[in-house]
Amino acid sequence: MDLTLKNVTKNFGGLRAVGDVSFTVPDRSIYGLIGPNGAGKTTVFNLVTGVYKHDEGSIHLGKTDLRPLKPAEIARAGIARTFQNIRLFGQLTVIENLLVACEIDKKASLLSSVLRTKVHYEDESSMRDRALELLGVFDLAHTAEEPSTSLSYGNQRRLEIARAMMLKPKVLLLDEPAAGMNYGEAEGLKKQIRWLRDTFDLTVVLVEHNMQVVMGVCEEIHVLDHGETIAHGTPDQIRNDPAVLAAYLGEEADGTATLASDADAKAPSAKGDEASAKEPGAKGDEASTKGDEASAKGDEASAKGDEASAKDAKGDERGGKAGEGSS
Amino acid sequence: MAGAQAGSTRPMGSGLLKQIALFGGGLLVALLLDFTLDKAISDSSIRQLLMMAACNILVALSLNVINGMAGQFSIGHAGFLGLGGYSAAVVSANLHEALGGGEATFGKSFIVVPVSLLVAALLSGIAGLFVGLPSLRLKGDYLAIVTLGFSEIFRLVIATAQIGDKETIAHAWSSAGSPRGFVHAISVMITSLGGQNGYAGPKDAGVPLYAGPFWVVGLAFVLGVVAWRLKFSGWGRALRALREDEIAAAAVGVDPTRYKVTSFVISAVGAGIAGGLMAMNRDGTPIVQPDSYNFQASFDAITMVILGGSGSVTGAAIGGVFVTFTVKAIELLQSTSAVQALKQRFESLDLNALRMIIYAAVLIALMIVRPEGLLGERELFQKKAPSPAKAK
Amino acid sequence: MKLLEALMTGLTQGAMVALVALGYTMVYGVLKLINFAHSEVFMMGAYIGLFAILGLGGAGNPVIAGVAGTVIAMIGSSLIGITVERVAYRPLRGRGKGALTRITPLVTALGVSVLLQNLAQLLFSARFRPYPQLFTGTLHLPVVGGLSTSRAFILVASIVIMVGLELLVQRTWFGKAMRALSTNEEAARLMGIRTSRVIAMTFALGSSLAAIGAVLFCLDQSQAYPTMGVVIGTRAFVAAVLGGIGNIKGAMLGGLLIGVLGEMVKLTDYSGGVDVLVFVVLIVVLLLRPAGLLGTSRVEKV
Repeated sequence: MDLTLKNVTKNFGGLRAVGDVSFTVPDRSIYGLIGPNGAGKTTVFNLVTGVYKHDEGSIHLGKTDLRPLKPAEIARAGIARTFQNIRLFGQLTVIENLLVACEIDKKASLLSSVLRTKVHYEDESSMRDRALELLGVFDLAHTAEEPSTSLSYGNQRRLEIARAMMLKPKVLLLDEPAAGMNYGEAEGLKKQIRWLRDTFDLTVVLVEHNMQVVMGVCEEIHVLDHGETIAHGTPDQIRNDPAVLAAYLGEEADGTATLASDADAKAPSAKGDEASAKEPGAKGDEASTKGDEASAKGDEASAKGDEASAKDAKGDERGGKAGEGSS
Repeated sequence: MAGAQAGSTRPMGSGLLKQIALFGGGLLVALLLDFTLDKAISDSSIRQLLMMAACNILVALSLNVINGMAGQFSIGHAGFLGLGGYSAAVVSANLHEALGGGEATFGKSFIVVPVSLLVAALLSGIAGLFVGLPSLRLKGDYLAIVTLGFSEIFRLVIATAQIGDKETIAHAWSSAGSPRGFVHAISVMITSLGGQNGYAGPKDAGVPLYAGPFWVVGLAFVLGVVAWRLKFSGWGRALRALREDEIAAAAVGVDPTRYKVTSFVISAVGAGIAGGLMAMNRDGTPIVQPDSYNFQASFDAITMVILGGSGSVTGAAIGGVFVTFTVKAIELLQSTSAVQALKQRFESLDLNALRMIIYAAVLIALMIVRPEGLLGERELFQKKAPSPAKAK
Repeated sequence: MKLLEALMTGLTQGAMVALVALGYTMVYGVLKLINFAHSEVFMMGAYIGLFAILGLGGAGNPVIAGVAGTVIAMIGSSLIGITVERVAYRPLRGRGKGALTRITPLVTALGVSVLLQNLAQLLFSARFRPYPQLFTGTLHLPVVGGLSTSRAFILVASIVIMVGLELLVQRTWFGKAMRALSTNEEAARLMGIRTSRVIAMTFALGSSLAAIGAVLFCLDQSQAYPTMGVVIGTRAFVAAVLGGIGNIKGAMLGGLLIGVLGEMVKLTDYSGGVDVLVFVVLIVVLLLRPAGLLGTSRVEKV
C-alpha cells in the first residue's frame, strides 16, 4: 500500500515545522527522508504515526485517511516505527517488549486471561513463538529474558526494529537507525533493511543522516529543509542536486564537499559552484564557514571509513545472519 | 510447533482441574476459618487484626493496579474505599431489614454480602471511570490532585450535608419535579447518611456485620489470585509498557486511553469491594464514618504499596499486612499503663501522630535509598522465567 | 451591601490565600514539583509567629510584637523550607529511572507533609490555640462601609508584598536566575547560575511568604491549630493551579478568585460547601484548561 502525503502542514505556535509537504512512498519501496537538523523529518514521522495531528493536508495509507485515527489505531492499520532516541519499555524484558506489540491480535479477552482459559495459554504460547522467532532473526534470542535496558546500544536499536516488526507492519518507519553506528555496522544495517523489505513485503521509510546508508539503500529520496521540500529523486539525482548541497553545506561549498560519504564517491565540483551562484546575499559569509566545517567533517568521515572497513567483515557477517533467519 | 513450548507457559496438568483445586481449596480454608476462628483465637482484638489485614491486602492490591502497574499516581484511594463502604453499608442494612432483621447469620450472608458488594463494586467502578477519564489528559502530579479532589469531595459532601428538619427520602422525591426539588431530594438522601456522625443503618440500629472470615479471607484470596493473573497477562504487560513509555506503547498499538481507564475502573472496583468488606466486617464496628476515609487513609494505602514494592502483587500484600500490624501495635501500646502514665505528663503525646511521623520518615528514606520499595516489581514465589528455546 | 461586604472579605481571604499560593507556584516553576509540604510550612509559620508574638508581649505591644514576630516566623519557615528541600527533594534530583522518576518526588513531598503535620500535633497538641489580637476597631470607609482594621491591614499588606515580589522577580538578579532556571535548568547551570542556591532561595522566599500569610491568617481567624495547613494549603494550591501553576501572576489572580468565590458561597444555602466547591473548581479547571488561566502548556518532544 502506498503511503501518500498531500500538502501536509504542521505549525507549532508560530513555527512552521512542516510546510506543504507532498510525496508518495510507493508500495514495497525503500524511501529516504533526509535534510539538515531541524528540517522537520521526525515531525513528518510523528504526523504519519498520529503523535501530532497535521493542521492542513492529508495523509493516506492506501485509501485509509490517517487523520482521524489515534496513534494506536494507526499502528494497527499497519504503520510501525522506531524512535530517534530509543524508546524501549525499560523495566520489561526483551521478549516482553515484543509481546506488548502483539496485544492487538490477541484472541483472549481480559476475562479469559484472568480465568486462565485454554485460549489464554494458546495465545501466550503462539505469541512467544513468534517473538522468539523474530528475536532470532535479529540475533537477540539469547537475551530474551534480560531486561531491555541491559542491552548494548546497538542491540537496543535492533530490538526496537524487532518490536516494530512484531506488528506485522505494511510500512516501517525507521528514525535514524544508523545513529552511532560505525562503517561496518552501517553496512550491516543496509543489508538488514533490504532483507526486511524483501522477506516481509513491506515498505521502509528511512530518516537518516548517515549518507552511506541513505545513498546505499534508498530507491527514492525526499529532501526537506526548514519544513519544506527542496528536492526529490533517485540517490544519484539527489547527490548532485544544487539545492540539496546548498542546504547541507551552505551555498559556497567548495568542490571537495559532497553529500556522499562513501569513500569512493566522486565530488561534483561543478555543482558546488552552481549552488553558490544560485543564492547570493548576506548569508554568504556564514555559509562559507559552514561549508569549510562541513568539508573538514567530510575528510574526517572518510578517514573513519577506511579505519572501519576492517570491521566490515563483521558487519557482513551480521547481515548474513539476518538473511539466514528467513530460511 | 506450539506444543513444544506450551509447557513453558502453561502449568502442568489439566487447566480446569487445577483451577477448581486452587479456588476450591482456598475457599474451603476460608470456610473452615469462618467456623473455627472464634474458637481458635479467643482474643477478639487479634481476630479483628487478622480480618483487617485481609481487608488491607485488598486495599493495597487495588491501589497497586493504578500506582504500581499503570504508573499513575492516585492519592485519593480513600474515596473509592468510602464509596464502597457507604454503599455496602446502606445496601446491607436495608436488605437486612427487608429480610426481617434479627441476627446476621451465615446463611443470610450469602444473600446480603454478594448483593452489597456488587453494588459497592459497581458504584466504585463507575466513579473510577469518571476519575480515570482525566488521566487521559493529565499527567503525574495533576492527576494525583484530581484523585485527591475526588476523595475529598466525597468525604466533605457526606460530612457537611445538613438539612434542618428531618424529612423522609420518599417525601423529598415526591416533590422533586423541579430542578430545585431534585437538588433538595439529593441533599436529603445524602443527609440521611448521617453527616459527620456516620451511618448506622436506616433505624440507627447499626450496619449488620455479615462479612465473616469466609467472605473476608476468601475474597482476599480470590482477588489476590486475580491481581496476580492480571499482572501476568497480556493486559498487565501492556499496562506496564504504557507506564514505561506512553508514546512507544501507542506506537505498537496499545491504546493509552483504554488501558488507563480500565486500570482505574479495575482499581476502583477492587477498592469498592475492600471498602464494602471493611464496612460489613464481622469484627469491625457497625458504623461507617466519613473520617475513616480521609487523606490519612489514602496515605496509608500509598504506604502499603510503596513499602512492599510498586507493581508487585505479593509486595502489596506484604505492605497491607505490615501497615495493619503497626497500626494495631500502636493501639496496643496506647493502652499500656506506661504510655498512659506518660500521657498524663505530656498532654500532646499522640502515638498515632508518632506512627504517621515514622511512616513518613520511612517513606522519605525509602524513596531516597530504595525508590522501588521492598520487592521492587518482583514477586515472592515467582517462577523462574522459562529459558528461551534455542534450537530452531 | 451584603454582597459588597462579602466581596471585601473575599478579597482579604483571597489575598492571604494568594500569598501561600505563591510558594507553590514558585517551587513548581523551578523544580516542576508540587511541594505538598508547603501547606505545613504555612502551619509551622503560624505557630512560630504565635510563640514569637506572645514572647514579645503580644497584644500589649502590638507594633513591635507584630513586626518582629512576623520576621521571626519568616526566618523559621524559611529554615524549615530549606531543610525540607535539602533532606527530601535534593537527594532525588537528576536521579532515578523510568516511570519512578515522576512518582518518587511526589511520594517524598507527601511524606514531608504528613511528617510535619503530625510533628506539629505532637509538639503543639491538637487543640486550638488563641492568637493575640493585635488590631482592634473598625474602619469606616466610603462605599464599602465597615471593615475591621485587621482585614484592612491584611489586604493592604498582601498587595504591597505581591507588588514587591513582582519587582523582585522582574528586576533583580535573583528573579532573573529563578526565571532562567524555570525555563531550562540545564542551560541555566551552563550559564553559571548556581542552581542549588537559587532553588534553596526559592524555597526560602516561598516559605517566608507562607509565614506572612500564616500570621495574617491567624490575626484574622484568631487561632492556630495543626491541621490549619490542610484547609488553607488546599485552597492555596487550587488557587495556584487555577491561575496556572508556575505562573506568579496566575497565583495572585487564582488566590483572589478563590477567596471571593468562597465568600460568595457563604451567602447561599450551602455555606458548608466551600471546600467542596474549591475541589470542584479545581477539577473543572484541570479538565478544561490543564495549564490554568494564565499558564501555557508545553508539547512533549518525541
